[in-house]
Amino acid sequence: MALTFETVIGLEVHVQLSTNSKLFCPCPTDYVGQEPNSFVCPVCLGLPGSLPSLNARAVQLGVKIALALGCSVPRVSRFDRKHYFYPDLPKAFQVSQFGLPLAEKGAMPIFLGGLKKTVGVTRLHLEEDAGKLLHGTPDGRLSGASITRVDYNRAGIPLAEIVSEPDMSTPMEAREYVLSLRRLVRYLGASDGDMESGSLRVDVNVSQKCSDGRVGGRVEVKNVNSVRAMERALEYEISRQREVLLSGGQVYRETRHWDDSNGSTRGTRGKEEAQDYRYFPEPDLPPLVIDDSFIRAVEKDLPELPWEKRERFQVEWGLSSEDASTLSERLDLAEFLEETVAHGAGRGSAANWVKTEVLRILNETGIETDALPFTPRSLGALLAKVDEGSLSNTAARGVLEVMGREGLGLEEAMRKAGIVPGGVKGDLLTEAVREVLQGHPEETALVLSGSDSSGKKRKYLQGLVMREIKGQALVGDVSAAIDRELDLMKGFRE
Amino acid sequence: MKSEPMDAAVIASAVAGRKCSAVEVVSASLERIAAQEPRLNALITVMADRALERAAFIDRQVASGGDPGPLAGVPVVVKDNLCTRGVRTTCGSRMLGNWKPPYDAAVVEMLEEAGAVIVGKSNMDEFAMGSTSEHSRFGPVSNPRDPSRVPGGSSGGSAASVAAGYVPIALGSDTGGSIRQPAAFCGVHGLKPTYGAVSRWGLVAFASSLDQVGPFSRSVADMALTMDVIYGRDPRDSTSNERGRPRFAEGALNPSVRGTRVGIVREFREGVLEQPLAKAIEDAALALGESGCAMADVSLEESVTFGLPCYYIISPAEASSNLARFDGARYGLRMDAPDFVSQLLLTRGAGFGDEVKRRILTGSFVLSSGYYDAFYTTALKVRKKICAEFDRAFTSADVILMPAVSSFPFKKGNFDDDPVGMYKSDLFTLPVNLAGLPGMTVFTGLERSGLPTSVQLVAPRWQDQRLIKYAAVIEKKFGRSPVATGGCF
Repeated sequence: MALTFETVIGLEVHVQLSTNSKLFCPCPTDYVGQEPNSFVCPVCLGLPGSLPSLNARAVQLGVKIALALGCSVPRVSRFDRKHYFYPDLPKAFQVSQFGLPLAEKGAMPIFLGGLKKTVGVTRLHLEEDAGKLLHGTPDGRLSGASITRVDYNRAGIPLAEIVSEPDMSTPMEAREYVLSLRRLVRYLGASDGDMESGSLRVDVNVSQKCSDGRVGGRVEVKNVNSVRAMERALEYEISRQREVLLSGGQVYRETRHWDDSNGSTRGTRGKEEAQDYRYFPEPDLPPLVIDDSFIRAVEKDLPELPWEKRERFQVEWGLSSEDASTLSERLDLAEFLEETVAHGAGRGSAANWVKTEVLRILNETGIETDALPFTPRSLGALLAKVDEGSLSNTAARGVLEVMGREGLGLEEAMRKAGIVPGGVKGDLLTEAVREVLQGHPEETALVLSGSDSSGKKRKYLQGLVMREIKGQALVGDVSAAIDRELDLMKGFRE
Repeated sequence: MKSEPMDAAVIASAVAGRKCSAVEVVSASLERIAAQEPRLNALITVMADRALERAAFIDRQVASGGDPGPLAGVPVVVKDNLCTRGVRTTCGSRMLGNWKPPYDAAVVEMLEEAGAVIVGKSNMDEFAMGSTSEHSRFGPVSNPRDPSRVPGGSSGGSAASVAAGYVPIALGSDTGGSIRQPAAFCGVHGLKPTYGAVSRWGLVAFASSLDQVGPFSRSVADMALTMDVIYGRDPRDSTSNERGRPRFAEGALNPSVRGTRVGIVREFREGVLEQPLAKAIEDAALALGESGCAMADVSLEESVTFGLPCYYIISPAEASSNLARFDGARYGLRMDAPDFVSQLLLTRGAGFGDEVKRRILTGSFVLSSGYYDAFYTTALKVRKKICAEFDRAFTSADVILMPAVSSFPFKKGNFDDDPVGMYKSDLFTLPVNLAGLPGMTVFTGLERSGLPTSVQLVAPRWQDQRLIKYAAVIEKKFGRSPVATGGCF
């Protein structure tokens, strides 16, 4: 009988917390693009005699993520020293949390094709980032004696490490987990979650269970620098491990390095060379005590979470799973949508407009919603007119465009767009219809003869009328006017 | 100009009252240093130019009517593991080379803010590891009371500087007795404050959960004056704290101890001490009794039995971590090597002395997986028991009177082949560090041999001012510490 496999995936995600200063010193954190070693001080350089002071904001953000993940936050947590020698680690130990992490035992829902799955979160702890090694040659040439420089600007940046349970079984689930987590930390304002710049980093743990009872060793894959890289690395590792097991071999517990350029992983250190980090409690920091009032204050500050929003959009608003997902992706977008509704727009039309018109502008310009040239208030009012039938979609798009381009309020923009309050009705409408029909005798004849069975020609004519009147009439009114005219023409013929 | 060393309190009021200038005082200090350093080797760096500049600044401050501070013009020495901006800080090690810190230790700031003038950085056992001040890259320190003997350690240079009259006040650090033991050996007062009472910012760490900065002096009044300056919470040291704002100087002036209880440690009564040191305890007890104290019997059995092994697990463990940063990459010594690992190995091999290496190895061992629980975890449990034992003792005593050392200062070279023998000499001091308590060595007199006797006072946490009161009573009876006349030389 052919062997089958089950994949077990767990992820360790490091998130750079959006604080103004580093985890243990007042140095600024916006180091990207700065002169190397310009954002450093005795503490983050680990100079002899320096001591850490914990950044309360980092604790706040860590607790915020933890509560959003439904973790329990024990009253007392502790910092430990994790020792290893590496030139990017100024003290030769990283201050992290080992024995008593900031938070434990949470979970996060992920959605795959509309189906919900819950992934357990083992723990969340705070730790400091290391510096960065810059490899090169003394004179900047590509060949010749190599030299390594160290930039400590990143050393001491606060990180939250979020460790998942091994609850995922496909690269797709891993992808959804990372995207959901990124969405969450962005919602919470806890991190920019940008994987390319390294403010969100993922270490992958993957192993195989074979139907004959064999269990492969857990392999940790490092150096996956994008969601796509993670998926590829997982796909590669899964097939590599299966091949090893199929050929009767053993998968060893080890750390492997993902090489994105050739799409494979390679072992980094030998399996027998297990690292001994010699953890022990950081004596320079007293235990971290988090009392109920601190937790309550953070809780009060929690927004509606992305998966809660998504579910509400779907269940209460009746949006499709896809729309609910799109519209809950960004907190600013979701909030823009909700405010638009609060200012008079119907949920359906607001959702349609935000996911098309608004999102298009955001994607094209790369701005945030608060930089949009129109407010949810004016969009809400505009869509209210559409909903009540006094404005067609086409006309509204024109008005929105004017609002955006000229930065005008709704009334002014409507005037500018040539929209007549109350719309085109009666004789004006009839006049427009006649003009179109007379201008397009072939199409009109086809419709009159009854051979426009698909209704395409009729729709075409209707569109022309709408364009003629700048969309300032209800579809139903236009349609009725066309019917009336066609009847007249029929009667005239007969 | 007076050439006789003066007390800090005397200097400060003379300088503030323009009876003498800070420049005169500091010059006299520098002269004594120049005269005696060839024999004592108490200082690693003499900061003559900077000190004279600083003294001139204080004189100008006084002349312009400013407040020069409670230590105006007082020359002080600080141990060379306290960072001084722009002045090399070596910890007595090759490893730091000529590293010049870009910042001052908190206590250095506080001293200078108070008007003190730092004249030198004192010699010490490398990275504060040792009890003899012989383990220094800059050679051994001699005891001013008898130069054939060690001054104790690791703050031997600071203790010797005060005993020899270089300065009335010096700062040291005490991890397992490194202030109190050299104070006892050099015949001066030495105080280790409550853990957390004095900022460790800028103190190059040996064992972070035990290290504490504290002063040496020849009079209790000067001790109190210094404590008033350096005591208190510093936001840069998260382990620092404060309970109330004790007025140490007042405690030294009006030492009322009547009606209080002095704990005498049962385990230290017989046969443990050299006779004159045992007699010092008896005499001090008598003196306190005359002042209205009742004696109480307390036991420190667990501290005596387990303190030493507990300390020699926890302190090397923390030291192995604290000293891991010396890799030659950023500061201090760097041995040329083709890659990071070789550079690391060569630099650490060449930079650290034997005693430091011994402790790094011990510490790395007790923290390694497979041995961690047997050693480190157990030691933490023992530490808790020792704390509890002191707490119990303090239910029947307000202060504990016990020896700081069991013998007179060792002859130089005594422990060259017996590191454990040296470790054992810390028996009376290190339990106090394990429990985070304030402890003080109080000078009680000189024997006919010229060697000093002393007692140790230990108080509950945050009762540092109590030490000053009892010490003042004892000092009244036995007299203050005289400047060493040069002993046999």
